[in-house]
Amino acid sequence: MAGFSELIKNFEKTRDYMRDFFIYGYKVRGDFNYRSVRTYDDEKRRAESWLGECLRYDDSVRGRQISISVDSGHIAENPLYRAYYSKSFTDNDIRLHFFILDVLADNAPLTLKETVQSIDERFGVIFEEQTVRNKLKEYAAEGILICQKRGRADCFSLSPDICTEYFSEIPALTDAVKFFSECGPFGIIGNSILKAADIKNDIFLIKHNYIVHTLEDMMLAELITAADEKRLVSFESYSAKRSDNTAGRAFDAVPLCIFCSVQTGRRYLAAYIPEYRRFHSFRLDRIKNVKPKEAFPEYDSIYEKFLANTKRCFGVSFGSRHEWGYTEPLKITFYIDEKNEEYVLNRLLREKRCGTLEKAAENTYILTLDVFDPNEAMHWAKSFIGRILRIEGGSDEIRRRFYNDIKRMYNIYGDDKIDDIQ
Amino acid sequence: MTIFNEIYGIYFLIAGKILGRRVTDEGQIYSMINKYGFRDSILFLPQKLIPQGDGSDWGLLTKDGSGRLLSVLSHAPESRMTNIQKRWLKAILSDPKARLFLDESDILRLEEKLKDIKPLFCKRHFCFTDRFSDGDPFDSDEYRRNFRTILRAVHEKRVLDIDFVSGHGKRIRRPFVPVKIEYSPKNDKFRLYCFMLRKNGKAACGLINIGRITAVNETAMIWDKPLPVDELYQKTAEPVTVKVTAERNAVERFMMEFACYEKQTERDLSTGVCTVKLWYDDRDETELLIRLLSFGPVLEILGPESFRKQAAERISKQFKLING
Repeated sequence: MAGFSELIKNFEKTRDYMRDFFIYGYKVRGDFNYRSVRTYDDEKRRAESWLGECLRYDDSVRGRQISISVDSGHIAENPLYRAYYSKSFTDNDIRLHFFILDVLADNAPLTLKETVQSIDERFGVIFEEQTVRNKLKEYAAEGILICQKRGRADCFSLSPDICTEYFSEIPALTDAVKFFSECGPFGIIGNSILKAADIKNDIFLIKHNYIVHTLEDMMLAELITAADEKRLVSFESYSAKRSDNTAGRAFDAVPLCIFCSVQTGRRYLAAYIPEYRRFHSFRLDRIKNVKPKEAFPEYDSIYEKFLANTKRCFGVSFGSRHEWGYTEPLKITFYIDEKNEEYVLNRLLREKRCGTLEKAAENTYILTLDVFDPNEAMHWAKSFIGRILRIEGGSDEIRRRFYNDIKRMYNIYGDDKIDDIQ
Repeated sequence: MTIFNEIYGIYFLIAGKILGRRVTDEGQIYSMINKYGFRDSILFLPQKLIPQGDGSDWGLLTKDGSGRLLSVLSHAPESRMTNIQKRWLKAILSDPKARLFLDESDILRLEEKLKDIKPLFCKRHFCFTDRFSDGDPFDSDEYRRNFRTILRAVHEKRVLDIDFVSGHGKRIRRPFVPVKIEYSPKNDKFRLYCFMLRKNGKAACGLINIGRITAVNETAMIWDKPLPVDELYQKTAEPVTVKVTAERNAVERFMMEFACYEKQTERDLSTGVCTVKLWYDDRDETELLIRLLSFGPVLEILGPESFRKQAAERISKQFKLING
């Protein structure tokens, strides 16, 4: 294991391993065949170093399985954030970081030459101007430094925005950052603010918490930026079987919105593909190599059409009629004991979407969904098993599958077996 | 501009904290690394921080005659708010839930500090496709007042007099010690983990939907006695065991959907069948049951027997509903 470092240069590679350790948990060393065995060993050791207490080891006949096993509803901090705090750097990076901040803390804005000279005088270390220039510019872009002109020269000073002062000036912000750092997009950024101020979340718990989403945050930022700038992006979309080493399929698409399912944990990039002149949803965790491209002039009109179309999306699909054949509004009739099962009716009212719920008779309610892809509703509909009187509309295939599924489930759990299952 | 940058990294953080002390020693360095670092940081970091004599350290500390380690800096380093952190702060301000924590004057001060900053994201970037529609009323003044009273009490360990309507429609008014606040993105609701104080002096754990609270008042009592916090989470001793087949990409769908649960998985390579043990909170048993049933015949609940029986009853009822 010579040359091992717990720090990493490339987040993408780590993202794949962390995701597999977390989501699947049943994979053994030999299953990680999209990289070398040495890479697996290094990534495993890093995961152990970052996430020690969250790792679970199980020995199976196939070998030792390593998984990240956490009850996400009862943790104070997303453990996967730790991967972001592991970026590798050079000795000069860390020296310059503290030396620059120190010489600039004397309050006088300094030019590049003055900074180099001050570092030499104070620390006895001479850095090349180019190295210091790059670092000053980088820090100005990050917002740590402010760059102003003195004559023709750039002058650098420290940003006055100190993390701890935000919390001392606005004490209520502490709890807000604690909460949003664990819940919501880019929580890792909130967590980095807390870390800088040495604050930990000790109050908030997040139920139905898909902590793995954080691994997509960097790519998400690129997609959102492109959407704001009304640009096309290019990316590769991979199939679920990432172990097959096949290349992803390349797309040029216009990012419009991120569809988030808070029930299934899946997130999608909703985009417009000019080549096919259609909207499509791409699984966010299967996208790689996002690159911004040129501006898309018709962005506004496409976005309007997209918003109109989302009214007929039950989930994320813009239609798959080629797969399901002719579709018509899907009608699901429920039997609900109104006197004793009001909670079921309430469930329907709060969970239904893109549809209308009507009372057809006493204890009988019909939900009509006029959506692009009725099949998307069936996973949810099956959570009402025990209360569905009939399914109508949709497509022949959807109805056949539902009735067949009930028979199959009856055979799995019931005492009497039935044979006419397709 | 990215969060994956060494300036946010653990090594920079630890170095900054050590340099902030101005004078330190090797023991404190090891202690700081153990506290803030990764498990293996102790193998890599000390020799970079502690002067080595051969120049292989970072040169951030010098050793004096008595073995003390002195910072080479003239100032204690202070973390500056970066642009991406400011953009994130600006973005959360537009979330209605931010008003639960921050009052109007807080918002104005923060907006002033962030006036030239573009939010990192906004509402239109995200569409929550299956969030329940009866979320808590975050815009309601009364809800905000209740939330802040509860939040303050959690900090102060103050006993609250809470009047609320239970899930079964029963009105309850009792003294409670608030402990944690839980939010569900699926339900879009907050719940309060708390202990109900009984007349016999004992505390029983409870969970109250903040949206169902009709009145909450602070009492003069501060609860500084230990509480059985572990009892707040009623994790089942026996997990649910399910078998998921490879049909309809069920394994992948299941693993993603149930990623929030503590689980143990095993896969039979010859069949592709995955056997999963899931640990869950007793109070969420019905929710878990209906979510498992929604996978249809590609998932079978193997046990415990009582859990499987509940599934069987629902399926039997369903079978009879459509087959007479």
